Amino acid sequence: MTAAALALVIPWAAGIVLALLDGRRRLVGWLAVAVLAANLAALVVLAVQILPHGRVHEVTGDWPSGVGITLRADALGVLFAVLSSVALLAAAVHEVLDGVRDRVFPAVVVFLDAGLTGVFLTGDVFNFYVFFELSMAAGYILATYGGTRRELGAALIFTAVNLLGTFVFLLSVAGLYHVTGTLDMARAAARVADVDPNAAILVAVGFFAAFSVKLGLFPFHFWLPTVYTGARPAVAAILSGGLANIGAYGLLRFGGELLPDELALAGTALIVIGCASIVYGGVLAVSRRTSAEMLAYSAIGQVGYVLVAIGVGGPAGFAAAILYAVVNSLNKTLLFLTVETRGALVGTVFALGALSVAGVPPAAGFVGKLELFRAAVDSPAVLVLFLLGSALSFVYVFQIYQFDFWRGERSGALSGWPQQTLFAALGLVVLGLGLWPEPLLALSRDAADVLVRGGG
Amino acid sequence: MKLAFALAAATIFGSGAYLLLHRDLVRVVLGIVLISQSAVLTLVASGLTRGAAPIYPLTERDVSDPLSQAMALTAIVIGLGVTALLLVLVLRVAHAYASRAIDDVAEDEAEHDAALERLHAREHEDEEAAAR
Repeated sequence: MTAAALALVIPWAAGIVLALLDGRRRLVGWLAVAVLAANLAALVVLAVQILPHGRVHEVTGDWPSGVGITLRADALGVLFAVLSSVALLAAAVHEVLDGVRDRVFPAVVVFLDAGLTGVFLTGDVFNFYVFFELSMAAGYILATYGGTRRELGAALIFTAVNLLGTFVFLLSVAGLYHVTGTLDMARAAARVADVDPNAAILVAVGFFAAFSVKLGLFPFHFWLPTVYTGARPAVAAILSGGLANIGAYGLLRFGGELLPDELALAGTALIVIGCASIVYGGVLAVSRRTSAEMLAYSAIGQVGYVLVAIGVGGPAGFAAAILYAVVNSLNKTLLFLTVETRGALVGTVFALGALSVAGVPPAAGFVGKLELFRAAVDSPAVLVLFLLGSALSFVYVFQIYQFDFWRGERSGALSGWPQQTLFAALGLVVLGLGLWPEPLLALSRDAADVLVRGGG
Repeated sequence: MKLAFALAAATIFGSGAYLLLHRDLVRVVLGIVLISQSAVLTLVASGLTRGAAPIYPLTERDVSDPLSQAMALTAIVIGLGVTALLLVLVLRVAHAYASRAIDDVAEDEAEHDAALERLHAREHEDEEAAAR
């Protein structure tokens, strides 16, 4: 069995077993962590196999090509799959150390991992929908984790809004199939140039709306603050560090590869929406006084950068978008996990995450911002907005740092050394990517190259 | 035929959107179910060919596109699972809030925000007083 199939089958099969066990037991929790680690290992093996320029293309069930569902792993998909797996693993370790409160939690996280791996490795549009819905269903259950009134209310809003998003996606899948006559992404990308432009734009708008809801971009963001502040820190980290990656990946894959002409046409609109997101998220984050709320609004602002970079387009724009999506996901995982804890290392790690969000060296966020500036260097207006957004993010993260750590207002339990080790490891990843950014830069360029070269 | 499908899907989507804006949570769920059905109908309508049932061995030359029907079936099954999940969620919310109106959930959220706001305003005043 190949690494791609293993990465999918391990969490899938293990999830079914875990669902039958009581997740509140320590052993079951660690079993789930082991499954997530195995999935990550399989993905890393897969990444080593295909990088820098290869790709794995497999038709499932020994069907002839063109009939069976294709799995394909390229630089873009594998990068996002590894990233999400890291975020899920970190959040799961954190929660198991903290004590799992719900019997289904480990199983659901593992199912989410299976769904995300599938989303990033599939080469079939309808199969993408199936894995997408699997991940989202796991996300809906995770949002209720904790089970208090506030969490349930937040979960209801999350579920209702995101279900609408997935059905809009399904409508677009139907449209794409009708106009191109295929569900295979590579074939659809090859045929879409001959499609009636009006139909293609309609399909593209549907995909854009569906993924923007997932990402929480400005006009589609209304569900996000309630959910991210209502959910427990580990769940917020999973939702923003793992599940939200579907949005960025979907915009890149469906916009950059499948519908490139429509993306180029809508470039200016995307830049405008992205800038609105940056300013809206930044201004509201400055006005918040608790870290969880600040992070929720900051999430809206940060994805704005990704959208602007996608709107700029071209190899440089896509590479910047991918890089920033990676860095942002790591930042969010780190910050949401540390948000309600205290301890000797927590302050340092939080400061590191804050530096990364603000884009100050030596944290990884600096590299992300640098690439963004490089991509948008032709349009002064966007550069000014980037500067404004960065200044706002600098103000809000250090305002929270000041409230929480200087005045000692920070609430939450003192974390033990195992958790602090986890935070330190995540912090080292963020710091390491900032100090030695070459591998990540090369990887994001390879991934962008996949999009620009097209599906062939 | 395309027009009939388009009109039917649009009507169902519209009815779903209307129900979605109700304050009763059960109606909100029904609205989402209707919207999912409109997506299923669109999947059926997206078939590339139309004809006899595509059962092997094929006896007629023109058969319906089996792929769109397979997609519709999958979407129906997924829709069923997700609707069940959503209904359980509504049940739990109805128990927790002792109400099934979405206004009460929103009100609770607003109260939580207002309480936070008051807390911060008080802290701010204390700081100002200390500074003076």
